[in-house]
Amino acid sequence: MNLTDLKQGTKAIVSDISKINDLVQQRLIDMGLVEGVEVCLKRTMPFGGPVMVEVCGQCLSLRRREASCIGVR
Amino acid sequence: MSQFALFGNPNTGKTSLFNNLTGSYEYVGNWSGVTVEKKVGKLRNQNGLLIDLPGVYSLNPLSRDEEVVTEFLLTEEFEKILNIVDASQLKRNLQLTIQLIEFGKSLLVGLNMIDVAKTRGMRIDEKKLENLLGVSIVPIIARSGKGCDLLSKELIANPKKEMQTPVFHVDYGFLEKAIEQIITILPNDSNLNRRWMAVQFLEGNKRVKTYLDQHFAHTDKLDQMKRETEEELVKLGLAPSIRQYIYNVRDQKVTSILDQVTTVTSLNKTTATEFIDRIVTNKFLGLPIFLAFMYVMFMLTFDWLGTPLADLLDAFFSGPLSEGLAKGLAAIGASSFIKDLVLDGIVAGVGGVLVFVPQIFIMFFFISFLEDSGYMARVAMVMDRIMESIGLNGKAFIPMIIGFGCNVPGVMAARTIEQPKERLLTILLTPLMSCSARLPVYALFVGAFFVKYQALVVLSLYVLGIVVAMIVARVFSFLLLKGEKSVFVIELPPYRVPQALTLWRSTWEKGKGFIRKAGTFIFGGSVFIWLLTYAGPHGLNVKMDDSFLAMIGGVLAPIFQPLGFGTWQAGASLLTGFLAKEVVVATMNIIYQVPNAVSLQGVLSTHYSALSALSFMAFVLLYVPCLATVATIRKETASKKWTYISIIYALIIAYIISILIYQIGGLFF
Ligand SMILES: Nc1nc2c(ncn2[C@@H]2O[C@H](COP(=O)(O)OP(=O)(O)OP(=O)(O)O)[C@@H](O)[C@H]2O)c(=O)[nH]1
Ligand SMILES: [Mg+2]
Repeated sequence: MNLTDLKQGTKAIVSDISKINDLVQQRLIDMGLVEGVEVCLKRTMPFGGPVMVEVCGQCLSLRRREASCIGVR
Repeated sequence: MSQFALFGNPNTGKTSLFNNLTGSYEYVGNWSGVTVEKKVGKLRNQNGLLIDLPGVYSLNPLSRDEEVVTEFLLTEEFEKILNIVDASQLKRNLQLTIQLIEFGKSLLVGLNMIDVAKTRGMRIDEKKLENLLGVSIVPIIARSGKGCDLLSKELIANPKKEMQTPVFHVDYGFLEKAIEQIITILPNDSNLNRRWMAVQFLEGNKRVKTYLDQHFAHTDKLDQMKRETEEELVKLGLAPSIRQYIYNVRDQKVTSILDQVTTVTSLNKTTATEFIDRIVTNKFLGLPIFLAFMYVMFMLTFDWLGTPLADLLDAFFSGPLSEGLAKGLAAIGASSFIKDLVLDGIVAGVGGVLVFVPQIFIMFFFISFLEDSGYMARVAMVMDRIMESIGLNGKAFIPMIIGFGCNVPGVMAARTIEQPKERLLTILLTPLMSCSARLPVYALFVGAFFVKYQALVVLSLYVLGIVVAMIVARVFSFLLLKGEKSVFVIELPPYRVPQALTLWRSTWEKGKGFIRKAGTFIFGGSVFIWLLTYAGPHGLNVKMDDSFLAMIGGVLAPIFQPLGFGTWQAGASLLTGFLAKEVVVATMNIIYQVPNAVSLQGVLSTHYSALSALSFMAFVLLYVPCLATVATIRKETASKKWTYISIIYALIIAYIISILIYQIGGLFF
């Protein structure tokens, strides 16, 4: 399952971020989105726009393409 | 003088503290990446210099603004690190603190935003944290200034004290062997901490790698060691990469520290932020709400509030001020040359621009609100889908919004964009955003030709700027961005109610630039232009049509004929407008020799039609970046070629759009 499969407002544990490209991966690690933390999918923007997620009590936004490379369980 | 440097995560209040301790007014805003360059200020107590730097998450730079920080750390001399951490986000902030402690310079932590932490029900035992980290910690609220005195005392106390035996040490377990090996290979001659360099190298810090490449011969050996270590790490199943392994080790350390020092009393969720977000980032309402915000801004600036105020000011300039000056000059027996220079040159030129100050301040007030509330990052998110379709990302919209105020900081703000080509593209597009200097031109013309639809016409010009930018982006990204994938990750900070004082200050700081320009560029320009109208090939005090200015403008006039404004007056004012776009208005006031904006509008209606006025405004919007912007583009792209391209493509586009407006419009009206 990946992050974009989550229903809006539900939480899951990140299991894999290794498939994302290097630049985005480093940014996500910087912001605390790493394997083992809890994420909550807050919202998705229309027309395939970015998603908004919450990790460690803080919100961030990334593209749906990248979000779909983040494995969760 | 001793120098102290501010380090910390983005949006943690470094610049707020800098302003507080140095008495300056640098740019503060509630999103990540407000500060993009190094700023130096003198401490209030005169005991040293404080250096403000962009915010970074880690010391491995991904974007141009982050490079500034690592560059500073590696190459510049300073006494002490002042690390600002956000008390409400300690887990993430301490990741950077660990890297800074490992750097080995003496370090002081400013524990900021304790008010936010408190409202979230967090208590931090800073004495205990102090002991665990082995560094001094001062709790502060940078926004209100609480604790800042103590911090500055602590900062200058025994500045020379180096950390002899650091209390704090992170054991990287599996990596320690590799770290030891690298340390033994590294030469001892540099004054940088070798363990820090080894860890940063393993982590994949690009700047440290270049540093090693420059100062050290055997980097291929290091690369090989790193590769082997990573392979082994993955084989052992410890982590998917060295970078993440290091993150995990630090994270464990941070978590164990935080368990000891923080107590969470009540877990009250940040409901306000969540509530606002539910509305403004709503799937369907997000974009309409942003457009509504812009609409209200335009109505207030051009209709409801700004125009009446500008009219009052105009009446003052043309009435009491001019009359007073005329009397005063007569009383001191000034020659008619001086009288004409002051009244027809300076008052007409400078005053003609200054009357628009109220409108510009209203606009700046809104932009400052956007910046300080936390909405900016949301706008970037809402716009990302559209920006993606033209080959950019949502973050590129932030420089564009800033560009509405002034293009110069807009171009600078493009530094936060990670991909170099995307950044270049953003730099090229930002000048198409209609800055406040173009506003006097619009205000003048819509006042004369579109009285009923002022706000609407101006709004459509702003939109024209954006639409042209998007088309240009599409074309350029097709030619330029081949093979570079655009990325978008942005932090969404909690909303903060902007403080009245901060809001006023940042409005004033922006507006001050406009007023200062009136006193320098526009003043000088007005005198110069007036002299050119005063003198001609046949001597001084000639008729306007026989002046040098008419000659120069006349050369350009035929070129503008197809656009609907083929007069020497238009040519001359556009030429001078390259200095700064307000000068277009100053020049017109002088050329048409009118006492105030109202009568200038009267005169203009005999020289322009509504259609040619529209075409002229569109031309002023697009035609070339002003001098200051060109200089900034030159600095930021470090390329003559791109600077020329930015000027030339804008000229071509302006010409095409204006000709389309005038010729196609002419078929209908
Ligand atoms: N509540 C609260 N807000 C603060 C405090 N300090 C700063 N802020 C707000 O936090 C936001 C960010 O402040 P800045 O000073 O621009 O932060 P910065 O670290 O310079 O940010 P970058 O330049 O982007 O790295 C602004 O909206 C400030 O008003 C504080 O102690 N308490
Ligand atoms: Mg700053």
